[in-house]
Amino acid sequence: MEKKRKWPAIYLSIVFVILYAPIFYLMYYSFNSAGTMYSFDGFTLDWYREVFQDTRLLVIVLNTVINALLSAVVSTIIGVFGALAIMYVKTQRIKNTLLSLNNVLIVSPDVIIGASFLILFTIIGIQLGFTSVLLAHIAFSVPIVVIMVLPKLQEMSPALIDAARDLGASRFEVLSKVILPYITPGIFAGFFMALTYSLDDFAVTFFVTGNGFTTLSVEIYSLARQGVSLTINALSTIIFLVTIGLVIGYYFISRQSGGLTGMGVRK
Amino acid sequence: MSDNTIIQFDQVTKKFDDAIVLDSVSFKIERGKFYTLLGPSGCGKTTILRLIAGFTEPSSGSIYFDGKVINDVPANKRQVNTVFQDYALFPHLNVFENVAFGLKIKKMKKAVIGEKVKEALKFVNLEGYENREINEMSGGQRQRVAIARAIVNEPEVILLDEPLSALDLKLRTEMQYELRELQQRLGITFIFVTHDQEEALAMSDEIFVLNHGIIQQSGTPTDIYDEPINRFVADFIGESNITAGVMIEDYKVSFAGKEFICVDRGLNSNEPIEIVIRPEDLAITVRDEGKLRVRVDSQLFRGVHYEICCYDEFENEWLVHSTKKATVGEEIGLTFDSEAIHVMRFNESEEEFDKRLEAYVEKDHAN
Amino acid sequence: MQTKSRNFYLFPYTFWIALFVLAPLGLVLFYSFTDLNGEFTLGNYGAFFTSTYLQLTLSSFWYAFLIAIFSLLVAYPTALLLTKTKHKQLWLLLIIVPSWINLLLKVYAFLGIFGTYGPVNALLEVAGIGPQQLLFTDFSFVLVSVYIFIPFMILPIFNALDKLNPSIVDASRDLGASSWTTFRHVIFPLTIDGVRAGCQLVFIPSLSLFMITRLIAGNQVTTLGTAIEQHFLVTQNWGMGATIAVFLIIAMVIIMFLTGKRGMTNGKKA
Repeated sequence: MEKKRKWPAIYLSIVFVILYAPIFYLMYYSFNSAGTMYSFDGFTLDWYREVFQDTRLLVIVLNTVINALLSAVVSTIIGVFGALAIMYVKTQRIKNTLLSLNNVLIVSPDVIIGASFLILFTIIGIQLGFTSVLLAHIAFSVPIVVIMVLPKLQEMSPALIDAARDLGASRFEVLSKVILPYITPGIFAGFFMALTYSLDDFAVTFFVTGNGFTTLSVEIYSLARQGVSLTINALSTIIFLVTIGLVIGYYFISRQSGGLTGMGVRK
Repeated sequence: MSDNTIIQFDQVTKKFDDAIVLDSVSFKIERGKFYTLLGPSGCGKTTILRLIAGFTEPSSGSIYFDGKVINDVPANKRQVNTVFQDYALFPHLNVFENVAFGLKIKKMKKAVIGEKVKEALKFVNLEGYENREINEMSGGQRQRVAIARAIVNEPEVILLDEPLSALDLKLRTEMQYELRELQQRLGITFIFVTHDQEEALAMSDEIFVLNHGIIQQSGTPTDIYDEPINRFVADFIGESNITAGVMIEDYKVSFAGKEFICVDRGLNSNEPIEIVIRPEDLAITVRDEGKLRVRVDSQLFRGVHYEICCYDEFENEWLVHSTKKATVGEEIGLTFDSEAIHVMRFNESEEEFDKRLEAYVEKDHAN
Repeated sequence: MQTKSRNFYLFPYTFWIALFVLAPLGLVLFYSFTDLNGEFTLGNYGAFFTSTYLQLTLSSFWYAFLIAIFSLLVAYPTALLLTKTKHKQLWLLLIIVPSWINLLLKVYAFLGIFGTYGPVNALLEVAGIGPQQLLFTDFSFVLVSVYIFIPFMILPIFNALDKLNPSIVDASRDLGASSWTTFRHVIFPLTIDGVRAGCQLVFIPSLSLFMITRLIAGNQVTTLGTAIEQHFLVTQNWGMGATIAVFLIIAMVIIMFLTGKRGMTNGKKA
């Protein structure tokens, strides 16, 4: 019996170690004064200092954050409209069509999204750069917001709307006083997801960004292609901590909304 | 239209796609009474409620409120309020905000709202619960909040859509008393929807029994219980023994192979009919002294009485509620008064039925 | 009366669908029929059916298949064991957290781990095998991909296992089935939807993620994704890139059809 109980624990431990090892490996060597990802020489904070002194990098971080916030706000608005639209469509066939179209961008590989948006922006004459990246991020975040908001709308008892009407609320009052407050947790979750998708995106941005504009992911890629540089390690430690902070934040948001509805694996 | 009528349906039909949910229904609702719409699920009772509330529109026919057609008046402009089946309390608002919802929409002054909400909560015995969240309230308490939210708007009519169905038996009985009492205190019209016949009998001034989108019978609880119009009503309201029979002549009916004296008259002679005898109207006696001779098939102890299932020689089932115990397998006799026999004609309309019953009463008076 | 006022929600949303869902798909299809000068041609499709591209497609599928199989082999037991732990939701969260770290950083970590002087080579040396060229091989590509995709595979399988009514397993044991028979004939068939969803979440990105290939496999491995990126951003042959994209979309639709639609909402973007 004893032996039997041990193996699962060992197996799970190995999986956990493997999953976390590369991340901690990165973080560990961010303190290496030797400047390589092997043979730890001595402790240093030089690489962090370098990150914070690199104004170009800081501008990129700022760009990434601004772009993420803007795209999250706009896509949340469009996404809430989308969820309401899908909810209120009465014909089942139209509803299914809308849902399928909504999911196209969720299941499509990033290369396809990136390549097709590149064509689109070129055709309609949008300069590649901040605008194109922002539009692309809004575009691929909208369906995520819809997916996060729709279940909240669907779980809402239709009797609540009837009740509000019954108590004298006009159509707009029903929306502002009942529906929107009710789905607020879903809206927050959607906003949060849109934010993280935007912060994290590499492939789509890589396609539609021009020469002048870069986001953090794209910058990491081009740095990594040049080989090992411990500023990336330092950067990844910071990003890891920020991510953990966001995950905890999201955890509390979704706990308020009752259950980890949207917690999923991410690229 | 009499002054006391508040709501009237005139040949109202409601179709969903091709399915007819209400089939040319007409009735009047008077002020200050407790009405119950009773019927199995899908009979159209909730549809009537939703039509009154304004959540759906009739396919044809007119609905009058206070003498005016309200077919096109949206729900938020109607002077009725609903207590919903699952209460439909707003989960993001607390008790006070829920009850105040309708008043805030009307843009009343804050002080007035506070006053009215307090009063309404007092009415439903929920003083001091203003700041509770909805999910902190028990089922019975939510029920009261829902009622308070409706009555605070001082509507002329309150619609209740199976509001007790989610409660357990004991609480349900308690709330039946409370609702009845509340209606009498407020003096406004209650229209109550339920599929529970006991609930309907206990609370109502008037019951509408519905089936297949048609009002089968309307009347006071005792009328409907004692004189069901047809097999459906007899079966749905209480337990009944229903058997095919023949009306031989006035006051003489035959069923179960024998002839019996009854109180019904005015039917065609030798008209095939159905008779109803309630289980509690049957009494057990020794084999040869009964009007019917039956064999006891099974027996259940129900607390207040024994429920005894018997069969006569024609294999008709007879259900008896008796405080006396019987022995399974034994042959016993059943007796009953001639008033206990209730005769139902096939396809009799409510109008004809009422006329027939009125004739009996006149006859009684004449005697 | 009611429907009219509601339609207005549809306006911004359908505008988004038209501009960012339908138009891009249409444009990809349109570009697949153009050559370098923008003239109509079927040449791209002709080129796709030459041995170079067919071989590329085949090897891309082969790698995706390997990655999905290995991920499944690691993920299924993990998910199964996770459902039996005490605080399973917490452990699941811990499995998911690494997937929230930027993919590029995780891939970058392997540049160090698989490097000539990295820990893996050090281990090989101790084992007496001696240092090997690990980076820029198809082996490292499959390995890193499996590492990346394991959480994608675990989550849907875990959800399927978690939903499984425990009394079904008890019933199987009660009827005399061994652990293995119970697994084979009861647990696995009942969680096959989770496996399908997981495979879908792994297979499609495996065909298309080009950054893992670029960083880890050098030029050793070309997937459909790498080829599309190459044509769009390096050789500027959009027509050919669009043609490959069309085939990638077709492959995606077929895979989704085979693995059931359920995976779509279960997992996230890939």
